[in-house]
Amino acid sequence: MDFNLPSETDPRRLEIRAWFEAHPDPSYTQIAERGLAAPNWPAPWGLSADPETQYIIEEEFARAGIIPPYNINAIAVNQCGQSLLVHGTDAQREEFLPPALACEHIWCMLFSEPSGGSDLAAIRTTARREGDHYIINGQKIWTSAADKATVGVLVARTDPSLPKHKGLSQFLLDMNTPGVTVRPIYDMSGEENEYNEVFFDDVRIPADRLLGKEGDGWRLVMEQLQTERSAMTKPGAVWGFGPTARELMSGLIETGKIKDPLVRDEAAQLFIEGEMLRLLVYRNMSNRINGKPAGLEGNLGKMIASPHGQKLSDLAKRTQGAAGLIENQDVLPLPDKHYGLFSNWDYAFWFGPASTLGVGTQEILKNTVAEHVLGLPRDTDPTAKVPFKEINKTKLKAAS
Amino acid sequence: MNFSLDEDHIALRDAAASFLDKEVDLSLLLTHGRTVQDSNYDGLWKKIVELGWPGIVIPEAFGGLGMDYIDLVMIIGEMGRTLAPAPLFGTLAGAWAIERAGSAAQKADILPLIASGERQVCLAIADASGAPGEGVKATPTNGGYTLTGEKSYVVDADCADQIVVMGQDDTYYLVDRHADGVDVSLLPWRDITRQVCSVRFDDAPAERLEQSGNVWPWVKDRLYLLLAAESAAGIATVLADTVGYANERVAFGRPIGAFQSIKHQLAEIAAQSECATAGVQYAAWALSVVDAKAPLAAAMAQAYASEAYKTATHRNIQVYGAIGFTWEMKNHLYYKRARANSELLGAPRQQREEIVLWLETDRPDKAAA
Repeated sequence: MDFNLPSETDPRRLEIRAWFEAHPDPSYTQIAERGLAAPNWPAPWGLSADPETQYIIEEEFARAGIIPPYNINAIAVNQCGQSLLVHGTDAQREEFLPPALACEHIWCMLFSEPSGGSDLAAIRTTARREGDHYIINGQKIWTSAADKATVGVLVARTDPSLPKHKGLSQFLLDMNTPGVTVRPIYDMSGEENEYNEVFFDDVRIPADRLLGKEGDGWRLVMEQLQTERSAMTKPGAVWGFGPTARELMSGLIETGKIKDPLVRDEAAQLFIEGEMLRLLVYRNMSNRINGKPAGLEGNLGKMIASPHGQKLSDLAKRTQGAAGLIENQDVLPLPDKHYGLFSNWDYAFWFGPASTLGVGTQEILKNTVAEHVLGLPRDTDPTAKVPFKEINKTKLKAAS
Repeated sequence: MNFSLDEDHIALRDAAASFLDKEVDLSLLLTHGRTVQDSNYDGLWKKIVELGWPGIVIPEAFGGLGMDYIDLVMIIGEMGRTLAPAPLFGTLAGAWAIERAGSAAQKADILPLIASGERQVCLAIADASGAPGEGVKATPTNGGYTLTGEKSYVVDADCADQIVVMGQDDTYYLVDRHADGVDVSLLPWRDITRQVCSVRFDDAPAERLEQSGNVWPWVKDRLYLLLAAESAAGIATVLADTVGYANERVAFGRPIGAFQSIKHQLAEIAAQSECATAGVQYAAWALSVVDAKAPLAAAMAQAYASEAYKTATHRNIQVYGAIGFTWEMKNHLYYKRARANSELLGAPRQQREEIVLWLETDRPDKAAA
């Protein structure tokens, strides 16, 4: 065992640092060409970097003051791009990956629907094959970056005669296709919209934009969400981003608010929890290095991380009293560094309720942990084995 | 960087587990009226001595095995998992105080005897108030000292041959447990898997350990690690026990573990169990490599693990229902150990205060892992 993080003089670090020093203001195309956009991907896209090298690269991006590509184009770099490496065609990789890694094409994930919520597999958007195209009709919701995206990774139902998890397929959709309408959702934070609704009205997708095979949709979704949850286990205020308990503590110390005995004990509890989360993240990283496959620990981590983040911004907010209800970004002083989207406590707080909802609610996550990690009995879904088009009839029958 | 346990650690833990699974018999305690005196404390200890555990972290130069704290928590975890009633806590605490406060000659005299199991020791820190105190006064005599006063919450004093006593100003004295003027009484301590005593000294003859100052902070970090390691392993075993019961017990036509109210509680304990284990391993590593953040790591591990252990053992009894509240089940033994572990060295709130004090001097952005 060795809990030391990679040192300042680690040769891998020096190599990356030298590149950033030689390219003080790199374009994202240059970054992608150097393999730094998705360092864990194999050549020619990335460097086949192990988790420890990825960690170093992340630190060197921060040191150079450059927002890393996975913060700009997270869906492509973290969640969905890798599906093309495994399940895509050569033509799809050539067409879609270079502009994605260079952050020229922003991607979004067209998964959630208004009727489904946490029951993600109950997707109603349909994809009907017609000659060499699929015709898409339906609606998506809670789509981050849909208003900025060039490419949408779409899950739609290709075969409603199969049970709900089986008849789904994924497509790479050009968001500029006629019939696609994007509407912003203004969330309770009042900030620039994070989410959108997306409507499909006889949208035509060429058949060669099918990702994997027809019916692979749910398997791809599971792979993509697993990666996303793991990324969300870091100890930041919202989904691993934003200030952490360390910054909360330093802000409370700097302002003297730490002297209040109740604040003091609560802050210490949060600090400890944040450090424990950090240890889990590192341990998962080192399990990967030691060749243990990624398991369900991302779920476990996110289960603690999401409420942890809410507790952080809640304590920060409470130190303001009534003044905390006035729009104000300077809740507590923050050490000067890049915090991603949630760069102040005020936004982190008012956005906070979403962090136990996104990527599956906290309750769904707890079910997953209880059933898949602890081995408790599975919840039964009476609609799981029924052909999707029969589900409404089944429900009616049950009600009568 | 490697945050995973090595094969050697896992082998050590597995060996300790199979030994303790065979030798620990908690059923001795599960009849109403039984106390720690019915727990086979001495019998189990004799077998533990044969394995060399008393000397596990005593340096090889003093006859010990000289292993590190990660090895230690592999064994302590198993002691905690099985609630093994045996005086390992007292032995380690006394040995650490001697290692830190003893002169070279004193260490050479005593530590080999502890490592070989020929001598049992313990450490008396707290006053009757429960806090480390100065309630015992030392008076110089011809060539030695006498001690007068009282210590309480002394773990493993009754079975000890010698008691290491904290005096004033972080000084330490060695007293023969059977000397005139030493009166040890077992406290009616709720956690009957552990011997906890009060000790009165009345002009008791004592030998002073030569070094003083900065002894207690050093020893305390290690004792935090001990209790945290017991607690973290306790959480994991109590969780597994609760999950087992929830899968087995049927009500309303389903195993009760199928109900979300139970699933969700157990999922939370699973997460806390992972965190507690990671915190203990980190603290063990930090103490082994003498990392500057070791005191922070030890206090974090102890504060976190003892809170989570209390939650897990409470939940365990609730999931069992009323049967889990009876003396004949072992659930209460874990519940009481959890309560005891979170008070014996000061409450979690005290460790959290130590953490904030540490951070106020050394800012959090520089802190920890």
